[in-house]
Amino acid sequence: MTQEIVAPLDGKVCQLHISAGDKVEEDEEILVIEAMKMETPIYTPCDGIVREVRVKAGDEVTENDVLAVIDEEHIEV
Amino acid sequence: MKPYFEKMIEFGHALKKGRIKSTEENLNHIKNIEADVADEMSRVKLAGFSEEEINARGQMTVWQRLEYLVDPGTWCPLHTLYNPMNNEEGTTNVIDGVGKISGKWAVIIGFDNKVMAGAWLPGQSENILRVTDLSKRLNIPLVWLVNCSGAKLTEQEKFYANRRGAGTPFFRHAELEQLGIPVLAGIYGTNPAGGGYQSISPAILFAHKDCNMAVGGIGIVSGMAPKGEFDLESAEEIIEKAKQFRAKPPGSVNIHYNETGFFRYVFDDETGVLDGIKNYMKDMPAYPPKFFRVAEPKESRFPIDDLYRLIPLNPKRVYDFEEVLARLVDASEHMEFHPDYGPEVYTGLCKIDGFLVACIGNRQEYLGRHYPEYADYAGMGGKLYRQGLIKMNEFVTLCGRDRIPVIWFQDSSGLDVGDDAEKAELLGLAQGLVYSIQQTDVPMMLLLLRKGTASAHYLMGGPTANRHNAFSIGTVASEIYVMHGETAAVATYSRRLVKEKEAGRPLEPIIEKMNQLAKAYHEKSRPRFCAKSGMIDEIVPLSDLRKYIATFAGAAYQNPKSICPHHQLILPRIIKG
Repeated sequence: MTQEIVAPLDGKVCQLHISAGDKVEEDEEILVIEAMKMETPIYTPCDGIVREVRVKAGDEVTENDVLAVIDEEHIEV
Repeated sequence: MKPYFEKMIEFGHALKKGRIKSTEENLNHIKNIEADVADEMSRVKLAGFSEEEINARGQMTVWQRLEYLVDPGTWCPLHTLYNPMNNEEGTTNVIDGVGKISGKWAVIIGFDNKVMAGAWLPGQSENILRVTDLSKRLNIPLVWLVNCSGAKLTEQEKFYANRRGAGTPFFRHAELEQLGIPVLAGIYGTNPAGGGYQSISPAILFAHKDCNMAVGGIGIVSGMAPKGEFDLESAEEIIEKAKQFRAKPPGSVNIHYNETGFFRYVFDDETGVLDGIKNYMKDMPAYPPKFFRVAEPKESRFPIDDLYRLIPLNPKRVYDFEEVLARLVDASEHMEFHPDYGPEVYTGLCKIDGFLVACIGNRQEYLGRHYPEYADYAGMGGKLYRQGLIKMNEFVTLCGRDRIPVIWFQDSSGLDVGDDAEKAELLGLAQGLVYSIQQTDVPMMLLLLRKGTASAHYLMGGPTANRHNAFSIGTVASEIYVMHGETAAVATYSRRLVKEKEAGRPLEPIIEKMNQLAKAYHEKSRPRFCAKSGMIDEIVPLSDLRKYIATFAGAAYQNPKSICPHHQLILPRIIKG
C-alpha cells in the first residue's frame, strides 16, 4: 500500500531530508515548507520506504500538491 | 462537580519513533543551552566568600539557610540572573523564590551574606519590589532572611532614593501587613540603617543572638560630624570610635529583646531562628488543598522530557501547542472553550495538582485559506486575529467570574496588521483584552515558551500586566523584542536607503548599520538578557515547567481573596453547553 504525502499549505520547500529508496519511520520529519515566515515540518504517516520524491529543495508548492510517495511497510504476522 | 472534573477529555499523543529520531538534535541543543544557563546560575550562587569561609565565622550562608528552611523539593527560584544595573558582583544580592515552609507556600527572600555581608546593591530594590508584589498577588506570606550590612556606599546614588528605591520595600511591607499578609523575618548579623529597617518592617522578628539592628551602625556613628575634610587628627578619632562600637555595636539583642522588645524571639543557634519561622508557618492562614481541589492530583500521561522534542528551538518552526500542554497538566485532560472559534488561540480548563486552572496559548500551525474570515489571505498560528481576541476576552472575563487562576502560554509574533485587520477592529479588541485582564482579579502567570513580540507580549498576560501577573518564566527558547531585528532594521533604515540610492552614494555603510542593528536585537532578546534585565523572572529548564506551574496553582489556591463554589462555576457549563 502506498501513502501520498501532500502539501498542507502553499510555500517553498526549504529543507528536504529524504531520497527515493530511503527507509522512514512513522512521524519522521521528511521535509519542511516555508510560508508566511514560518517553517512547517512535514512528517511521514507510516513506516515505509520512500518510493518517490516529487519536489526538491527550493521548489514552490501549492496546497494539496503531492510531495512524496511512501511504500507503507507491512508487518508480517 | 465530579462529573465535570474527575475525568475530563484526554488529549495529546505519545511520541512515535520517527518523531523521536527527528528531534534528537533539538533535544541536545536545548539541553546544552540549559547546562550553560545552569553554569551561569552557579556563578551567582558562588558569588562572594565561599561557604567554608562563612561557616568558619560561625554563620550559615543564605543558601544553607534556605535549604534548611524550605520543604525539600518545593523551592522554585526566581530572579537568579536578575542584575539590571550590571553590578560587578553579578547579582542584586538578594536570593528569592517560592517554596513551602512547614507545608505552606510562601514567598521567600534572603540577603546573600557572602557578598559584602548582604549589602544593598543597585537593582536590589527593584528585585525586592517584584517579590513583595508576588506575595501580594498570591496572597501568601513573605518570609525574609535578613542579613543586611546596609548600602554599598560607593554606589548609593544608584539606589538609595527615588520612587522605587531602597526605601520603597519598607512601604510595601506595610502595605502587605495592611492587607493581612504576614511578613516574617529571621534576622542575622549586623543590620544598620537600611538593614535596620529591613529588620524592623516585617511583622514578626526572629532574631539570632549575635544579630543587631539599628538606625545607624558603626560607620555612621563614627563619622557623624562632618568637618569639611579628613586629616590625621580626625582619622585617629575615627579609629577610636570604630574600636569602641566594634566591641559593642548598637541595637544588639540586649537592646531590642530586653529593652524595646522589638525582637519577638531570640535563638542561640542559626537553625533555631529557622525552626522558629517553620513553627510559625504551620499556623499561617491557609485553606487545606482539598477545599479547592476538583480532582485527585495526577501526573501527565506523557513524560515531561517529551518537551525537549516538542518545543523547537528554532523560533520559525511550527509545533503543536496541545502536545506541549498535554505534558504539563494532570492526566493530560482538559475542557476546551470554543474549540471551533478563534483557532489561533487555545483556551481551556485543565487541572494542575488537582486544582482547576485556565490555560491560554498560541497555536502555531497554518490556519487554512479561509481564516481569518475578514481577509483574502491565509492565517498562520502565532499571530492573533479577530476571533482569537474575542475568545480570549470572553474566556478571561469568565475566569474572573469563576475565580480561576490563569496560565498564559505565550509564543506570538503579534497581531495581524493592515487595513483589513483595522476594519476587523483588532486594535479595539486588543485593548479590550487589556481591559478584560485588568478587571479580572485572579492571579496569573506567564510561561513564555518562545516568542514574546509586539503588542501580543502585552496582551497575553505578560509582566506588563503587573498587578495580575504573579511571575513570568521563560525557557532557553524564549526571546522578547518589539519586532524581529531584521524588521526593525528595515523600519529604521528603509527611507535612508532610498535617499542614499537617489543621491548616488554607496549603500554599504547603511547596510552595515542595518546588520549591526539586527545583531544587537538578537543579542538583546536572548533568554539570559531577558532574565538579567527582568523581562522574565527566571529561565526554567523544560523538565521543571510543571513544577513551577504546580507551585503557582498551589500558591494561588492557598489563601485566595475570593471564592467561587465549584457548583456555581459557569465556565465549565458554558463549555459543556
